[in-house]
Amino acid sequence: MKNYSKVIQDIARAMLRAGLVDEVVAFGQDSAASGITPLFITDEQDVEKISTVSYYPCSLARLVARYGDKNKRTGMIVRPCDARAMVELAKRRQVNLDNFYIIGIECYGVIRTGTRREEIYIFPAEMEIDGELKPLDEEILSPNCRRCEYPIPTMADVSVRIEADGSSSVTANTEKGKEVLTAAGISSQGPPSDVTAMKERAARWQEKDFGQLREMNPDERRKYWLDQFDKCIKCYGCRDACPLCYCTACSLCPEESLVQGGEVPPETLFHITRLMHVGDSCCNCGHCEAACPTGIPLSLLYHMLYKELGTVFGYESGVDVNSLPPVSTIDEEDLTKMGVDIG
Amino acid sequence: MSMVARHDFEPKLLGFLCNWCCYAGADLAGVSRLEYPPNIRVIRVMCSAKVDPTHVMKALLNGVDGVFIGGCHIGDCHYARGNFYARRRVIMLKKVLEIMGIEPERLRLEWVSASEGVIFAEVMKDFAQAIKKLGPNPMKSRR
Repeated sequence: MKNYSKVIQDIARAMLRAGLVDEVVAFGQDSAASGITPLFITDEQDVEKISTVSYYPCSLARLVARYGDKNKRTGMIVRPCDARAMVELAKRRQVNLDNFYIIGIECYGVIRTGTRREEIYIFPAEMEIDGELKPLDEEILSPNCRRCEYPIPTMADVSVRIEADGSSSVTANTEKGKEVLTAAGISSQGPPSDVTAMKERAARWQEKDFGQLREMNPDERRKYWLDQFDKCIKCYGCRDACPLCYCTACSLCPEESLVQGGEVPPETLFHITRLMHVGDSCCNCGHCEAACPTGIPLSLLYHMLYKELGTVFGYESGVDVNSLPPVSTIDEEDLTKMGVDIG
Repeated sequence: MSMVARHDFEPKLLGFLCNWCCYAGADLAGVSRLEYPPNIRVIRVMCSAKVDPTHVMKALLNGVDGVFIGGCHIGDCHYARGNFYARRRVIMLKKVLEIMGIEPERLRLEWVSASEGVIFAEVMKDFAQAIKKLGPNPMKSRR
């Protein structure tokens, strides 16, 4: 079997050896019996455990923002959605990007953990399951990944492309990225990846998923969402999985007196509150939906609002650290508009 | 919803009025003895930007027929830029309502200054009329 993770392991080892970072946060297999889990690696020998297999059990951005040591310099091996989440968290002053070396893996989709146990790698047009290369079946991808337009982590310091034949190419996007590549002795190389096919796939699935809801009349749409929310068991899984839900005092807790406590399913406001708090910057990582034990299509809801707001505010979440979330900021153009609408 | 019920329907409206402009405008409408539909229940807030989107949604999801937010005209905000924020939040709220299948017209944002008592009365008439036409909030039957 080809070792798709080698280039990533080399970069992680070089970062630790050169002292650029104190620890590396990545997904890997700690022991043969365990699944893919987040690893905080400080010892060079442990980089062998890092894996780029196409599962993504939780958000690493959330882990470092919530549990990371603020005084440590950290290297992160992430997929584009988490790289974007890091940028969004930096805007909200939850992480200081100066302390992070973000290594992004080009990603063409992941599979929900819990549904499969095979070793699977996803490429633009192929997938490898347990060493066998096949054409990509889009149906097995996580639904949010099918709608994803960001296969290339341009916001990360380094982006790494891993090809189906096992070869790889590496690009430094920032000065810090260049430091990493110098330390690893890898030169920035390879032509930029072609994302037209991926954008086309995203547009097609967005059309399909959102179109289905847009075609409904308001009564059907309301019924659809209320039925979905009725499945909720108020486990707070979506909130706890979301990289952007960083508040320590959460409005959803009953003591905040916003959402009535002691009710299952909770009132509709439970989901709507979260939608309004993160919807404008949702980076479509899909962890909310993956965490939901009752299968509410949450990423569909958040991604749909994000796209709808994009048509008004033209905001792209997680791409530029200097553009702020549209609902909690105003810009120069606003000052010139007098009406109650800026559309 | 039968036509009869719609005919007798008196909407319950909730108003968040900014202390400095719209609330004073409503006050002026009162002292000027202007007539307008009595459907609105007013909550005075210090600024239209104080209106939390979750409160608007809480009201609408619990069956209020319409929510009105009144702020100062652009450039007149007592806190300089509060109404700009309110405007962006209302744009988001309308999208949320649309996605949820609740008519976005149930939420209205207007700029009313302290001297515009007549305009306040006009806006109230128009809003009550519009909500009457829409009928009761479909969320009401859920509770």
